[in-house]
Amino acid sequence: MSPIVHRIAGLSLATALACGMAASAGAQLLTHKDLSLATATAIAQGAIDACKAQGYNVSAHVVGREGQVVVALRNERAGLATYENSMKKAYTARTLRMPSGQFAENIKGNTTAGQLYLTNITPAQGALPIMVGNDTIGAIGISGAPGGDKDEACAKAGIDKVAAQLK
Amino acid sequence: MSRNAYLIAGLSLAAVVAGAFSVNAQLVARKDLSLPMAMTIAQTAIQTCKSQGYNVSAHVLGRNGEILVSMRGDETAPHTLENSFKKAYTSRAQRIPSGKFAENVKGNPNAGALHLSNMVPAQGALPIMVGEDVIGAIGISGAPGGDKDEACAKTGIDKVAADLK
Repeated sequence: MSPIVHRIAGLSLATALACGMAASAGAQLLTHKDLSLATATAIAQGAIDACKAQGYNVSAHVVGREGQVVVALRNERAGLATYENSMKKAYTARTLRMPSGQFAENIKGNTTAGQLYLTNITPAQGALPIMVGNDTIGAIGISGAPGGDKDEACAKAGIDKVAAQLK
Repeated sequence: MSRNAYLIAGLSLAAVVAGAFSVNAQLVARKDLSLPMAMTIAQTAIQTCKSQGYNVSAHVLGRNGEILVSMRGDETAPHTLENSFKKAYTSRAQRIPSGKFAENVKGNPNAGALHLSNMVPAQGALPIMVGEDVIGAIGISGAPGGDKDEACAKTGIDKVAADLK
């Protein structure tokens, strides 16, 4: 590029940066609620206990706002795949902001649904988003009961246990 | 070889295999961590560190290095979850405190074990023993110093010491 072209490019960049500043004038940090380890543990433990009371050994994952694992519990009496499956269900519920069973229903018969090609997305019932109002702050996934509906019921029991704290 | 030679070789092999494996074969009896016990170990360690003002993440692994409990501590740095896992894995695999492993390989970047997956020369994890048998490990990360991580790990194991038999 010639020096003049360089200068024009530089001016354009400066203008772009100035516009960027305009955008930042009203900027402020986001404020949101997140799960504590204690709350997440209570949810996971509550779900496992609920399933156990019905005779089902299940593994559990509670993921946070970014889908990160906050608590992961492998039930030594549950099937080997349940640990991975509970994580994937939870991730699915978190990222799609709906029960993983609802997602499974939504894409039923559509084997080429785009989300199915993403990592850790699974069309399997057994996970629920953890909400504060309309904000999804995480999810719990359960695997190991004989049926996703039963996994989901246990997941719900876990969330219900801390419902008063979710505000 | 002729067909007969094959037949003889085959029969001999079958005899050796059957003899070597079946005569005294019996299942191996092992003790393993239950989920409740693993949770007690992890939660106690996290609690101990918390009472000292340290937020830490914890992993408790079973006999085969599989994750039994994984807990991300409040306000911990993102790497602590991974680090607590790797410390625990190292401790389980080497059957020694991960800090002891770190000491053993100090100054030796070519130590073979360092080139395996999930091995880390960092203090903060202890094997969980039943007598001489290593049945798992606990790893902690997040305190300002591996010695402090390890001290918290120890309180977790101590809490269930009476049941480790």
